[in-house]
Amino acid sequence: MLSLFLENFRISLTAVLANKMRSLLTALGVVIGILAVTLMGTLISGLDRSFEQSMEFLGKDVLYIRKFEWFGDKEWWEMRNRPNIKIKHADLLRDRSQYAKYVAPVSEWYTSVKRGNDDISGVRVTGTTNEYALISTAEIDKGRFFSNSESRSGSRVAVIGKDIKDALFENEQAIGNKIRIGNYTFRVIGEVEKQGKFLGMFSLDKQIIIPIGTHQRLFTRRSWTGINVKVDGTQMENASEEITAMMRQLRHIRPMDENNFALNKQDPFKEQYAMIKLAIGGTGLFITILSLVVGGIGIANIMFVTVKERTREIGVRKALGATPKMILAQFLMESVTICLFGGLLGMGLAWGGSFIIDQFFPSDMPLGLAMTALGLSTVVGVVSGLAPSYKAAKLDPIDALRYE
Amino acid sequence: MSLISLKDIYKIYNVGGEEVRALDGVDVTIKENEYLAIMGPSGSGKSTLMNMIGCLDTPSSGLYEFEGEMVHEMDDNQLASIRNRKIGFVFQTFNLLPKATAQHNVEIPLIYGNVRRDQRQSMAAEALESVGLGDRMHHRPNELSGGQRQRVAIARALVNHPSIILADEPTGNLDSKSGREIMEIFDALHEMGNTIILVTHEDYIASHANRTIRLFDGKVKDDISAAA
Repeated sequence: MLSLFLENFRISLTAVLANKMRSLLTALGVVIGILAVTLMGTLISGLDRSFEQSMEFLGKDVLYIRKFEWFGDKEWWEMRNRPNIKIKHADLLRDRSQYAKYVAPVSEWYTSVKRGNDDISGVRVTGTTNEYALISTAEIDKGRFFSNSESRSGSRVAVIGKDIKDALFENEQAIGNKIRIGNYTFRVIGEVEKQGKFLGMFSLDKQIIIPIGTHQRLFTRRSWTGINVKVDGTQMENASEEITAMMRQLRHIRPMDENNFALNKQDPFKEQYAMIKLAIGGTGLFITILSLVVGGIGIANIMFVTVKERTREIGVRKALGATPKMILAQFLMESVTICLFGGLLGMGLAWGGSFIIDQFFPSDMPLGLAMTALGLSTVVGVVSGLAPSYKAAKLDPIDALRYE
Repeated sequence: MSLISLKDIYKIYNVGGEEVRALDGVDVTIKENEYLAIMGPSGSGKSTLMNMIGCLDTPSSGLYEFEGEMVHEMDDNQLASIRNRKIGFVFQTFNLLPKATAQHNVEIPLIYGNVRRDQRQSMAAEALESVGLGDRMHHRPNELSGGQRQRVAIARALVNHPSIILADEPTGNLDSKSGREIMEIFDALHEMGNTIILVTHEDYIASHANRTIRLFDGKVKDDISAAA
């Protein structure tokens, strides 16, 4: 049986190579189908990884009290008119809440940072307290975070992200050196480990963290403020209710009035992401199925042509002792070969494409999906080759031998 | 003992509602090591008879026994198997696979007979050498002359050591010199003990055989054995 299999494979290769252009055009549908499914898989794997990383940054047990809602249908101008979040409320929440473990006020604005001739612009400068380090999942790579007393005072100390370190201290020690944030000189006391991009959009490493006291004194005018609250992850619901109630009380909101602040968490991101993923997956799957079906029809068509062209050969093979099954296997093999060739080509192209995706989201081509894609090509080959091969197998040897 | 026995064979086609009797009660017995020519004008049924003997076709009625096997009762798979094991075909138009080498062409019946690769190669080489093409094994048909192509086809027919070699107008597409060479090969194969059946309409080809069956209108008109 093995020799027959090898013979069939040899015949298939010869036939495919003898009609290179025809085989390529025939396989195009499968190429596109496999390209679509594999690229989609790669994209989703990259998005997944990026998303997980970003969600880790947000933390599943952190509530973000902000002026603006991250999600929802509130009008932007409506939220714009809300009062700013007051830094001092952070201390009140910490004292009163039974669910809050750590509470850190944050105040942010963007500016450029210089050192000598080097500079980097658009740096997110976050003012906060030492509790920020306890809420954040990012670790301090070198040096230290500032202390509680430094938080409150006007100390000009800074903890820098990886992008800042790379831009200003390429091959040098950063800790202990001076940088200029806006117009003010700060001393670097710590470096945060590399965190990557948030949802592939902006770098989390292009950040400098300074004591909130200092931030308030120097950069207060254009900053926005918020409070990050880390709670017991199993008590998110209760904690949300409690914090909401407290904020309403602190802001003297009457029972019938709406909240004039936002309590953001990572959950809605997940819902949004699930929808995006579904949309990408659905589109990819639709393209894949469509091109495989169309490609399969094309292959069936060309296989009918092949059987017709080689009718005489079929007659000879039958005269020499090929059974109907052997002829069926031969032509099925040929159709599968075209499909596998298309599948491999599609995967090769997808592999190239995955490098482009990798520029935006670190990703790999999922091996399981690649194998599935090859399996799928085989199925398309068998299905579309079945009718032509059956026709070949059923040919009457006498008619086939006489065919001109 | 007879190798092939055809008893009261009918092959009836229905063409546009009209009954055509391609074979109309044929009785033929062929013994081992016979050298038989089947002759007759076109439409006489000689092709049908050849297809029947070659197990490419089954009779509408009658008994066909091939070395004790009842061919008239066989299905497609059994017919394929008997063609593979017991019959070697030589066609007028050679019918070699154009993209395969001489060696590979000769190996094809062995592949369908499930013979191991190393054994296959030595059998194919042996068959090609026996028709004088030992030095052309790796040539493709388009690199060979007509006579050489037909010799490859004969090697292919021989390779399985079949019980009969069935040749349909084997010299019809060849010049007279190549034709003579091919007939010499058939004569030699007969000398070596093979059973050979030729289908031809040319008397000088038939004269190589030691028995001639003439068909007319689907019936055996005469069956003449030359004195041995």
